[in-house]
Amino acid sequence: MSVTIDARGLSCPQPVLMTMDEIKGGSEKEIKVLVDSEASKENVSRAAVSQGCKVVDIAQDGEEYTISLARD
Amino acid sequence: MLIRRFLNRFKRQESPQDRDDLGILGILVFENTSEVIQAERVLKNGGWPIRVMGPPPGIQSGCDLVIEFPLMEELHLTRLLTDAGIPPLEVVPVNDPLLKPVDLFHTKDFGRYLMVRAANMKLTVDKETLVIVNVSGGGCPDVPYLAGLMVGQTLSNTPRPGIMGHTLCGYALKLALEEIERQCLP
Repeated sequence: MSVTIDARGLSCPQPVLMTMDEIKGGSEKEIKVLVDSEASKENVSRAAVSQGCKVVDIAQDGEEYTISLARD
Repeated sequence: MLIRRFLNRFKRQESPQDRDDLGILGILVFENTSEVIQAERVLKNGGWPIRVMGPPPGIQSGCDLVIEFPLMEELHLTRLLTDAGIPPLEVVPVNDPLLKPVDLFHTKDFGRYLMVRAANMKLTVDKETLVIVNVSGGGCPDVPYLAGLMVGQTLSNTPRPGIMGHTLCGYALKLALEEIERQCLP
Protein backbone atom coordinates (compact mmCIF):
# COMPACT_ATOMS: atom_id res chain seq x y z
CA MET A 1 0.00 0.00 0.00
CA SER A 2 1.08 3.55 -0.57
CA VAL A 3 0.17 6.97 0.70
CA THR A 4 0.17 10.13 -1.40
CA ILE A 5 1.12 13.58 -0.13
CA ASP A 6 -0.07 16.44 -2.27
CA ALA A 7 2.32 19.31 -1.63
CA ARG A 8 1.67 21.14 -4.88
CA GLY A 9 1.35 24.88 -4.45
CA LEU A 10 3.26 24.86 -1.18
CA SER A 11 6.62 26.53 -0.76
CA CYS A 12 9.62 25.12 1.00
CA PRO A 13 9.96 23.88 3.64
CA GLN A 14 6.34 22.74 3.82
CA PRO A 15 6.57 19.87 1.30
CA VAL A 16 9.60 18.62 3.21
CA LEU A 17 7.84 18.86 6.56
CA MET A 18 4.75 17.00 5.28
CA THR A 19 7.01 14.27 3.94
CA MET A 20 8.94 14.10 7.20
CA ASP A 21 5.72 13.76 9.18
CA GLU A 22 4.67 10.83 7.02
CA ILE A 23 8.08 9.18 7.22
CA LYS A 24 8.12 9.48 11.01
CA GLY A 25 4.45 8.98 11.79
CA GLY A 26 3.09 6.79 9.00
CA SER A 27 3.45 3.12 8.30
CA GLU A 28 2.96 2.72 4.55
CA LYS A 29 5.88 1.17 2.72
CA GLU A 30 5.59 3.49 -0.25
CA ILE A 31 5.13 7.25 -0.13
CA LYS A 32 4.32 9.33 -3.18
CA VAL A 33 4.91 13.06 -2.93
CA LEU A 34 3.48 15.49 -5.46
CA VAL A 35 5.35 18.80 -5.81
CA ASP A 36 5.43 21.52 -8.42
CA SER A 37 8.91 22.95 -8.29
CA GLU A 38 12.42 21.74 -8.95
CA ALA A 39 13.53 23.07 -5.55
CA SER A 40 10.83 21.14 -3.71
CA LYS A 41 11.71 17.99 -5.64
CA GLU A 42 15.35 18.30 -4.61
CA ASN A 43 14.56 19.18 -1.01
CA VAL A 44 12.01 16.38 -0.50
CA SER A 45 14.35 13.82 -2.05
CA ARG A 46 17.28 14.98 0.03
CA ALA A 47 15.30 14.99 3.29
CA ALA A 48 13.85 11.54 2.59
CA VAL A 49 17.27 10.04 1.91
CA SER A 50 18.59 11.61 5.11
CA GLN A 51 15.82 9.73 6.95
CA GLY A 52 16.76 6.38 5.48
CA CYS A 53 14.22 6.29 2.66
CA LYS A 54 15.02 5.38 -0.92
CA VAL A 55 13.98 7.52 -3.88
CA VAL A 56 12.53 4.85 -6.18
CA ASP A 57 11.35 7.09 -8.99
CA ILE A 58 10.78 10.71 -9.94
CA ALA A 59 8.20 11.23 -12.67
CA GLN A 60 7.86 14.64 -14.29
CA ASP A 61 4.69 15.95 -15.89
CA GLY A 62 5.23 19.51 -17.04
CA GLU A 63 6.17 21.48 -13.95
CA GLU A 64 4.91 18.80 -11.57
CA TYR A 65 6.88 15.94 -10.11
CA THR A 66 5.77 12.71 -8.45
CA ILE A 67 8.46 11.45 -6.12
CA SER A 68 8.12 7.82 -5.14
CA LEU A 69 9.79 6.95 -1.86
CA ALA A 70 10.24 3.58 -0.21
CA ARG A 71 11.07 2.91 3.39
CA ASP A 72 14.10 0.70 3.92
CA MET B 1 19.11 40.97 -9.28
CA LEU B 2 19.80 38.52 -6.49
CA ILE B 3 22.63 40.47 -4.88
CA ARG B 4 20.67 43.71 -4.95
CA ARG B 5 17.63 42.01 -3.39
CA PHE B 6 19.88 40.49 -0.72
CA LEU B 7 21.39 43.85 0.14
CA ASN B 8 18.01 45.54 0.20
CA ARG B 9 17.30 43.48 3.29
CA PHE B 10 20.14 45.31 5.01
CA LYS B 11 18.60 48.73 4.68
CA ARG B 12 18.92 50.42 7.98
CA GLN B 13 21.72 52.76 8.80
CA GLU B 14 23.45 52.58 12.11
CA SER B 15 22.88 55.31 14.61
CA PRO B 16 25.71 57.82 14.95
CA GLN B 17 26.05 56.80 18.59
CA ASP B 18 26.90 53.21 17.67
CA ARG B 19 29.51 54.32 15.18
CA ASP B 20 31.12 56.74 17.61
CA ASP B 21 31.79 53.90 20.03
CA LEU B 22 34.51 52.49 17.79
CA GLY B 23 35.99 55.80 16.66
CA ILE B 24 36.57 56.42 12.97
CA LEU B 25 35.53 53.38 10.99
CA GLY B 26 36.95 51.89 7.83
CA ILE B 27 35.94 49.08 5.57
CA LEU B 28 37.94 46.24 4.13
CA VAL B 29 37.00 45.36 0.55
CA PHE B 30 37.69 41.88 -0.77
CA GLU B 31 37.60 40.24 -4.14
CA ASN B 32 34.82 37.76 -3.35
CA THR B 33 32.41 36.66 -0.65
CA SER B 34 34.47 33.62 0.21
CA GLU B 35 37.34 35.90 1.23
CA VAL B 36 35.01 38.05 3.32
CA ILE B 37 33.81 34.97 5.19
CA GLN B 38 37.38 33.79 5.75
CA ALA B 39 38.49 37.25 6.88
CA GLU B 40 35.58 37.53 9.28
CA ARG B 41 36.58 34.24 10.85
CA VAL B 42 40.24 35.24 11.17
CA LEU B 43 39.46 38.64 12.68
CA LYS B 44 36.74 37.43 15.04
CA ASN B 45 38.99 34.64 16.25
CA GLY B 46 41.50 37.37 17.03
CA GLY B 47 38.92 39.25 19.05
CA TRP B 48 38.72 42.27 16.74
CA PRO B 49 35.50 44.32 16.86
CA ILE B 50 34.52 43.89 13.23
CA ARG B 51 31.23 43.37 11.44
CA VAL B 52 30.24 42.15 8.00
CA MET B 53 28.16 44.80 6.28
CA GLY B 54 26.68 45.77 2.97
CA PRO B 55 29.01 48.24 1.20
CA PRO B 56 28.25 51.93 0.72
CA PRO B 57 27.00 52.90 -2.75
CA GLY B 58 30.35 54.47 -3.67
CA ILE B 59 32.26 51.21 -3.50
CA GLN B 60 32.11 49.66 -6.93
CA SER B 61 34.89 47.13 -6.73
CA GLY B 62 35.06 43.86 -4.89
CA CYS B 63 32.16 41.76 -3.73
CA ASP B 64 28.90 42.80 -2.16
CA LEU B 65 29.94 42.39 1.45
CA VAL B 66 32.60 44.36 3.30
CA ILE B 67 34.10 44.23 6.78
CA GLU B 68 33.74 47.27 8.99
CA PHE B 69 36.56 47.88 11.46
CA PRO B 70 38.05 50.63 13.65
CA LEU B 71 40.29 52.53 11.22
CA MET B 72 43.03 53.07 13.78
CA GLU B 73 43.63 49.30 13.70
CA GLU B 74 44.25 49.26 9.95
CA LEU B 75 47.89 48.25 10.17
CA HIS B 76 47.25 45.36 12.53
CA LEU B 77 44.32 44.02 10.61
CA THR B 78 45.82 44.25 7.13
CA ARG B 79 48.98 42.55 8.38
CA LEU B 80 46.94 39.80 10.01
CA LEU B 81 44.91 39.24 6.85
CA THR B 82 47.96 39.34 4.60
CA ASP B 83 49.63 36.73 6.80
CA ALA B 84 46.47 34.63 6.48
CA GLY B 85 46.67 34.85 2.69
CA ILE B 86 43.57 37.04 2.26
CA PRO B 87 44.82 40.61 1.85
CA PRO B 88 41.97 43.09 1.24
CA LEU B 89 41.64 44.71 -2.17
CA GLU B 90 41.10 48.10 -0.57
CA VAL B 91 40.93 49.78 2.82
CA VAL B 92 38.50 52.69 2.74
CA PRO B 93 37.48 55.17 5.44
CA VAL B 94 33.73 55.15 5.95
CA ASN B 95 32.31 58.36 4.55
CA ASP B 96 29.01 56.96 3.36
CA PRO B 97 26.54 55.07 5.51
CA LEU B 98 26.90 51.31 5.38
CA LEU B 99 23.97 49.01 4.88
CA LYS B 100 23.56 47.00 8.03
CA PRO B 101 22.01 43.58 8.35
CA VAL B 102 18.94 44.24 10.44
CA ASP B 103 15.60 42.57 10.99
CA LEU B 104 17.35 39.86 9.13
CA PHE B 105 15.81 36.88 10.87
CA HIS B 106 12.34 35.56 10.48
CA THR B 107 11.33 32.58 12.60
CA LYS B 108 8.35 30.37 11.86
CA ASP B 109 7.21 27.61 14.18
CA PHE B 110 5.61 24.66 12.39
CA GLY B 111 5.02 22.77 15.63
CA ARG B 112 7.56 20.01 15.60
CA TYR B 113 9.75 21.99 13.21
CA LEU B 114 11.32 25.41 13.47
CA MET B 115 12.35 27.46 10.46
CA VAL B 116 14.68 30.44 10.54
CA ARG B 117 15.06 32.61 7.47
CA ALA B 118 18.13 34.81 7.23
CA ALA B 119 17.93 37.13 4.24
CA ASN B 120 17.30 34.81 1.30
CA MET B 121 18.06 31.49 3.01
CA LYS B 122 15.84 29.23 5.08
CA LEU B 123 16.99 26.58 7.53
CA THR B 124 14.54 24.18 9.20
CA VAL B 125 15.19 21.83 12.11
CA ASP B 126 13.26 19.15 13.94
CA LYS B 127 12.90 20.64 17.43
CA GLU B 128 12.89 17.23 19.14
CA THR B 129 15.98 15.74 17.53
CA LEU B 130 17.71 18.99 16.43
CA VAL B 131 18.25 17.38 13.03
CA ILE B 132 18.30 19.75 10.06
CA VAL B 133 15.47 18.69 7.77
CA ASN B 134 15.63 21.38 5.10
CA VAL B 135 17.82 24.03 3.56
CA SER B 136 16.22 26.15 0.89
CA GLY B 137 16.24 29.54 -0.77
CA GLY B 138 18.91 31.54 -2.50
CA GLY B 139 20.11 30.93 -5.98
CA CYS B 140 23.82 30.65 -5.50
CA PRO B 141 25.66 27.69 -6.98
CA ASP B 142 26.82 26.34 -3.62
CA VAL B 143 23.33 26.01 -2.07
CA PRO B 144 22.66 22.43 -3.26
CA TYR B 145 26.13 21.45 -2.05
CA LEU B 146 25.57 23.05 1.36
CA ALA B 147 22.10 21.51 1.64
CA GLY B 148 23.55 18.09 0.81
CA LEU B 149 26.10 18.49 3.58
CA MET B 150 23.71 19.82 6.21
CA VAL B 151 20.35 18.05 5.76
CA GLY B 152 20.18 15.04 8.06
CA GLN B 153 22.87 16.37 10.38
CA THR B 154 22.23 17.58 13.91
CA LEU B 155 22.89 21.19 14.84
CA SER B 156 25.92 20.15 16.81
CA ASN B 157 27.40 17.98 14.04
CA THR B 158 26.55 19.89 10.89
CA PRO B 159 29.32 21.23 8.67
CA ARG B 160 29.55 24.98 9.07
CA PRO B 161 28.32 26.95 6.05
CA GLY B 162 30.61 29.77 7.11
CA ILE B 163 33.53 27.47 6.37
CA MET B 164 32.12 25.44 3.48
CA GLY B 165 30.20 28.21 1.70
CA HIS B 166 31.59 30.70 -0.79
CA THR B 167 28.67 32.99 -1.64
CA LEU B 168 26.18 35.45 -0.21
CA CYS B 169 23.78 32.53 0.23
CA GLY B 170 26.44 30.64 2.16
CA TYR B 171 26.90 33.65 4.37
CA ALA B 172 23.15 34.01 4.93
CA LEU B 173 22.96 30.32 5.78
CA LYS B 174 25.73 30.80 8.31
CA LEU B 175 23.65 33.54 9.95
CA ALA B 176 20.55 31.33 9.92
CA LEU B 177 22.44 28.49 11.55
CA GLU B 178 23.80 30.76 14.26
CA GLU B 179 20.31 32.11 14.95
CA ILE B 180 18.70 28.68 15.07
CA GLU B 181 21.45 27.49 17.40
CA ARG B 182 20.78 30.48 19.62
CA GLN B 183 17.12 29.52 19.76
CA CYS B 184 17.48 25.75 20.07
CA LEU B 185 20.70 24.97 21.87
CA PRO B 186 21.15 25.49 25.62
